[in-house]
Amino acid sequence: MKFEIQYRPAHSLAIAHLEAGESVRAEASAMVSMTRNLAITTDGPMGGRGGLLGSFKRAVLGGETFFTNTFTAQGTAGHVTLAPTLSGDMQAIELRPGEPLYIQGSSYVAAPDSVELDTRWQGLKGFFSGETLFFLEASGQGPVLVNAFGALETLELDGDVIVDTGHLVAFGAGIEYEVTKASRGWIASYLSGEGLVLRMRGRGRVYLQSRNPKEYGHAVGSQLPPRQG
Amino acid sequence: MQYHIEHGPAFAWLRVGLEPEERIVAEAGAMVRQSSALEVETRLNASRKAGVFGIIVAFFVALLRRFLGGETMFVNEFWGPRGGEVVLAPKLSGQIMKKSLDGTRSLFVQRGGYLASSSGIDTRVRFGGLRTLFGGEGLVLLHCTGAGDVFVNSYGGITEVPVNGKFVVDTGHIVAFDGALDFRVRSIGGAKSFLFSGEGLVCEFEGRGTVYVQSRNLKALVGWLAPLLPS
Repeated sequence: MKFEIQYRPAHSLAIAHLEAGESVRAEASAMVSMTRNLAITTDGPMGGRGGLLGSFKRAVLGGETFFTNTFTAQGTAGHVTLAPTLSGDMQAIELRPGEPLYIQGSSYVAAPDSVELDTRWQGLKGFFSGETLFFLEASGQGPVLVNAFGALETLELDGDVIVDTGHLVAFGAGIEYEVTKASRGWIASYLSGEGLVLRMRGRGRVYLQSRNPKEYGHAVGSQLPPRQG
Repeated sequence: MQYHIEHGPAFAWLRVGLEPEERIVAEAGAMVRQSSALEVETRLNASRKAGVFGIIVAFFVALLRRFLGGETMFVNEFWGPRGGEVVLAPKLSGQIMKKSLDGTRSLFVQRGGYLASSSGIDTRVRFGGLRTLFGGEGLVLLHCTGAGDVFVNSYGGITEVPVNGKFVVDTGHIVAFDGALDFRVRSIGGAKSFLFSGEGLVCEFEGRGTVYVQSRNLKALVGWLAPLLPS
């Protein structure tokens, strides 16, 4: 399985090239097009292994539904093209055994079946903003395709940094984090408009996106007429 | 103060390196990441020299705008005894530009266009007409004065237009303009045009100075989306 990414950075599109018998597990709405020889199975959050209960847990706890589709090339090689919802860049992050990657739920696009996906319910909730945060844990070996809203930056962390979760895409093992106040007090933190902010500490990579989907949503959404009913 | 504008023109962000005790003021919610050594202080974006009345006005405006679904007018100020780095990003896709003021000329920035400013800059809310406040159309401006740098963000690209005489810009496409210019908000040509041309309100500039125009218009995007929403 190989990822190729086109139209970077503004409107990136990924092509997953599959040899016969290989498969790729993609976020449910990501498929753009595919060759005719691909078989699709829809899985819960743990690639089918978590079953319905796992999906339910994710849907309830994580505040979003997370289903994946697995595309398997049958007989011959084939490909599937994948696109995220918002404009921006994508990157295939190479996993090494024993070094898992934690991915913000909405940033995951796809990975081959050599990568194990697991949900880690973090129980993090913004005190005022009501934002919830959940991560997928990707472990094993192979490329994991993530998407960014806007540009994607890799920060080589050695020490600590404060990050707005709206800009967080993924981070490597060896990084610890805790929820922190964005400003001096809780009221000031609310007014600061930063929502849920993490203090991240350790050594490893932090992947950030240059736009915040929620901020964008509020900027556009607040101008729209209220929904009826 | 060091600054880098990266990932432009579509998804620009501003990376600021602060020396010890140097300060940068940024729009609420703009922070992407920051050194943990930096302090953050949240306050109303009212002039520091505004006095009590100015602060009350700014607070009233902030509440009203929030109620009407506008921006909050709060800002965050970043600084630290050992300095540090902070990255700031706009809400919409687009570019960022730096405009330096030397204390003799001022800059008007359309409310949504303000991203950040250095500590020598003073900002004050101004209105381009009554309609602005209640209709959501028109102009809410920040008047930036003093000496220092103002960082302005746009929806789309930024065109720098040197004006000598008269020039007309749709209010939704204004990013910023020279304080030396006279400006007047009006409808483009009578009630019929206001209702049917889709152009809404325009700003007519007069004099000598620069107008910064953005290639996209948030109101136009909203106007396109709104009828498509399920009721």
